[in-house]
Order: sequence, then C-alpha cells, then structure tokens
Amino acid sequence: MDKALINKALAVFENPEDSKLIAHLNSCVHCGLCAESCMFYLATGDDRLIPAQKVELVSSIYRRYKTLTGRVAPVLVHARELDDETVAEMTDLLFGACSMCGRCTMHCSIGVDIAYLVRTGRAMLANMGMVPESLQSTVNAAIQTGNNMGIPTDELVDTLKWLEDDLRDELGDPTAEIPLDAPGKSVLYTLNPREPKFFPLSISAMAKIFHLAGESWTLSTRMYDVTNYAYFSGNLEESRTIARRLEEEMAHLESGKCILAECGHGSRAFRWEAPNYLGHSFGFEVLTSVELIDSYIKEGRINPDASKNQKKVTLHDPCNLVRNGGIIQQQRDILKAACADFVEMNPHGTDNLCCGGGGGQLAMSEFNERRMKVGKLKADQIRATGAEVVVTPCHNCVDQLSQICIANKLNVQIKTIAEIVADSL
Amino acid sequence: MNWHEWLTTGALAVCLGSLLYHLFRLVRLGKPHDYASPAGSETEGIRYSFTSGMSPAKKESAYLHLPTYSAGLIYHTGTFISLALLILSLLHAFPDGTLALISAVFVSLTSAAGLFILIKRVAVRKLRILSNPDDYLSNLLVTLFQIFTVIRLAGGESFAPVYHIISALLLLYMPLGKLKHLVYFFAARYQLGIFYGRRGVWTKH
Repeated sequence: MDKALINKALAVFENPEDSKLIAHLNSCVHCGLCAESCMFYLATGDDRLIPAQKVELVSSIYRRYKTLTGRVAPVLVHARELDDETVAEMTDLLFGACSMCGRCTMHCSIGVDIAYLVRTGRAMLANMGMVPESLQSTVNAAIQTGNNMGIPTDELVDTLKWLEDDLRDELGDPTAEIPLDAPGKSVLYTLNPREPKFFPLSISAMAKIFHLAGESWTLSTRMYDVTNYAYFSGNLEESRTIARRLEEEMAHLESGKCILAECGHGSRAFRWEAPNYLGHSFGFEVLTSVELIDSYIKEGRINPDASKNQKKVTLHDPCNLVRNGGIIQQQRDILKAACADFVEMNPHGTDNLCCGGGGGQLAMSEFNERRMKVGKLKADQIRATGAEVVVTPCHNCVDQLSQICIANKLNVQIKTIAEIVADSL
Repeated sequence: MNWHEWLTTGALAVCLGSLLYHLFRLVRLGKPHDYASPAGSETEGIRYSFTSGMSPAKKESAYLHLPTYSAGLIYHTGTFISLALLILSLLHAFPDGTLALISAVFVSLTSAAGLFILIKRVAVRKLRILSNPDDYLSNLLVTLFQIFTVIRLAGGESFAPVYHIISALLLLYMPLGKLKHLVYFFAARYQLGIFYGRRGVWTKH
C-alpha cells in the first residue's frame, strides 16, 4: 500500500489532543468477555465479530507504527501492518459489523470505549478515502443538497403546506400552522429527511404538539436536516461542515432553542459532538424533542389522555439517545402519561439491544443480510412483550424496526414519541 | 544485598520508571476538553465508574461469566499481594511463620486462578483467535511469579535467587506488553466515567 495513504490513516494517532485515545488503545486485555454484549456476535456466532476483535484491529495498527514493542517485535504483540488485507478487514468489521451502539463499552470488564475506537478506525478509513460508497453517498447528498435525501426545497415546502392544511382540518383551527423560516421564534425545530420523504405524519404530530403547547416555533427550509452521517463515516471535516450549517441557521433565524427531531445519531452528533467539531460551545440551548415534550407534559402545557391509546405499547431505546445521550427517563414518563398499557422490553434503558440499524448500517446496503440477522434479536425482544405498538424516538430505528417486523412476521405498529403523544391529545 | 536482589531492584526501577513514563504521558495529555454543555456530573461519573460501575451486578462481562470474573479478581489480588511481598523481600522483611503460611496458601489459590485463565485462553476457540503471544507470555509470567512467591514463602531463603530472577523477568516485561494495563486500566475507567458522567448516563442510576 502507498506510504502516503498509510500516513493519512496514521494521522489519527498523531498529536492527540488529550489522553482519551491513548488510554483506550492501550487498555484491552483480550479477555473476550465483551462477546455476549454485542448483537453482531450474538446474531451470527462469528468469533471475528467480538468487540475486542474490532478494538484489536485498530490498536494493532497503533502498536505497529507507534510503540517500541510493536516496531521491534511485532509478532510478540501482534502489531499489524496497514495493508490491503487489513483495510478489507477493517471495512468489514468496523463498518459492516458494528452499529457503534456502545453496549460493549458499557459492559467491558476494563472500561475500554470500544465504540470510540471503532469510530477511530472508521476515521482512518475515511482519511484514506475508503468509506463504503453507499454511506459516503448519503454524506455527499447532505453536503451537496443540504439534506441527506436530496429533497428539493419546493418538494419540502409542498409537503409541509399540505400537512398544514390537514392539521387545520384535524384541529378545526385555521390558526394552526407549520411556520417556515420565521425569524425570532423561540424554537427552531429540525427534521430527519426521512420524515418529509416517508413519514410526514410525524411532522404534523409534532406541529400539533407545538400548537397545543402554544409554542413559538419555526422550521427552516434552508437547513433542517438533523442527521449527520459523517459522524458515522468518520470524516471530521464533513461532520464539521454539516454541524456548522445548523449552527449558522440558528444565528440566521435568531432562534433561542434548537430542538432536535427524533433521531438518535442526529441528536448525539449535534448535541454532544458538534461543539467539539467546531471547537466552541453553542450560544443557544440544544434539546431533543423528547425532552421538550416531557417538559410540556410536566408543565401542563399539553395534557395527554392515556385512554386514547389503549393498545399495549412498548419502547425501543435508541442507543445514541439513551446509552450515549443520557435521555433515559423522559420517554418513559411520556409513555406512562400518554398510553394506558406500557410495558418495558427486557433488557431496556442503557442495557437495551440495538435494533441493528445504527452506525450507518441502514445506509450501507452491502451489509443488509447481517443487519437483518441482528434485527431478529430485537424482533424476538418485541414479540416477548406482547405489545401491539412499538414506540421509538428515532427515525432510523423506525426504519429498521419496520423492516425487521415485516421480515419476522411481527404484526406491530411502529410509532415515534410525537405520534403517540399527538394521538393522545 | 546480594546479586539477585540487585537484579530485582534494578528491574523494579526500570519497571517503575517505564510505567511512570506512561502515567506522566497520560497526565500531560490531560482529560478531553468538552465544549458540549454537561447534562450530568463528570465527578459522579468517575465515582460510579470505579465503584458501582464495576460491580458484578452492573456488568454483563461479570454476571454472565462469574467463574472467569471471580478468577480474574482473585488472580489480580494475588498479583498485588505478591508484588507487596516482593518489596518486603527486597527490604529483608519477608514474612515467616504463620503469616508466611497464610500468604502461601492464599497465593497458591490465586496462582491456580491464573492457571485457570491461561488454560481457558488456550482451550476456548474465540479466545485463542483473539490472543497473541503477549497474552500468553503475560499470563504465564504473572502466574509463575505467584507460584515462585509461594515456593519462596514455603521453601525459605534457599529459593530466593530463582524467586528474584522470575520477579525481575516479570518486572522488565511489564511495561512492554499488555501488563501495562496496570496504568491504563485506571485511565480508561477514568475516561469512561467522564464520558458517561457528563452525559448524565451514569449519574442517574
């Protein structure tokens, strides 16, 4: 492999800004006890997919090029050359066999941040221009068109206008609206582009909640995409570009709060990662719509009627929102207020099983077979609850859950938090 | 001091110096500067990371693998006791009598735990494909160190040379391979505590 290309990959190890990377690269003791915490291993039984193997891929390259023992006695510590074979293995394991859900991290006997090291490995591949084409095309669409599905602005506006008409009919209130590009509002609400494209009713559900809560809000037609798939591809510069656009739109519309639509990775990328991509704190508040809806209920701004949702409901916790974002109790409080019969999956909360669609898996069609195998574990979990409705505050999870429910012949509805709450109002 | 004590003292100095280098490098690099506004407490996260977060009740790696987890815990306890005994040996304060007998019995158990872990690494396929020579060598050296601690405790002064040679080998190897997790384990759990603490994941339990 070309030395210049290798150096690009190794750049992720150069001049670390803090001790985090070094600490985690040197910590794995190969105990293998992380295996049963990984859905990919559990679903396939493939020993290569054990989380420690993914750590080993990245840290073995680090040892080869950045440690004395690895340079002098590579065989002793299994220090690997970065060659074509290693790159192929990295692509398969780090992109195709990990959703970066972080379940293994939480249960690691040592405390190695395995998901963080997987992302480091992805960043190495991104530096070499070796992100799977399918994932990269999603990022490219976001960079080039402003949203990851390449939805033209006039199509978005048309969709929002008929949603607004429907909302007025439903509420019998001609003042109900879906404001666009309105400056000086308290809230700028974002969308996952899947919503205008495939799930428009989740937008009208949120609009209904905003209207009944008396919120001052707007959508932007210029920058509304909450997602940031560059977080998954590992390309820091592209992550930064996408994040900066939303920050600039907040300034442009002079909004006080950025409310992130129901999207696990989008919430994580903007709430937790973007300030670090950009190197500064935001001058505005960033909240997820789950937190906002929870606050509306607790402040009495909306009053859900649980009797309007009589079906048995269960909750799927999106990994990036819960395990990696600390939004754990709010969605439970909402569902207890809005549903007559809410049951938990087992396990749930920070121990939840990933749906299998995270980490960019849904965008990478070349790994579909493995993704659907992983999804079966989630389907079994849903079946065991006996629920008729699965609620999840993440459009990515909605997509994966919809697919696995069909594949596994589960007759359940998949809804977002906003949809189930809107049904109860 | 005789030659083998000098040898071990020198190895101890090299080992401590190298491990301190790793520690100072971590300290110099410092903790991540996070610009995202916190939702929880980093301090609480770090506290949880080193306490409840390590309990068998909270970690799948522990409660799904209790025999291995217990063996690991016992083995590590034996290592620290053996290191303490080595220091005492170099200070000519090695225990004898009842204390030596109790120590010998306990470290015998801990070295059996070490052997169990080593045998498991050889026998279980998924561990075998995960392992490199360093994994076997590290486990072997630490287990031998514990076994020779027992021999020294039970056999008396005549076993001191071989005991000190084994100890020196372990000390010289420690900073080179995975045994340096003696330092990095604490760094990793500290970092994890910061991550989950700041995000309010480990401060709400």
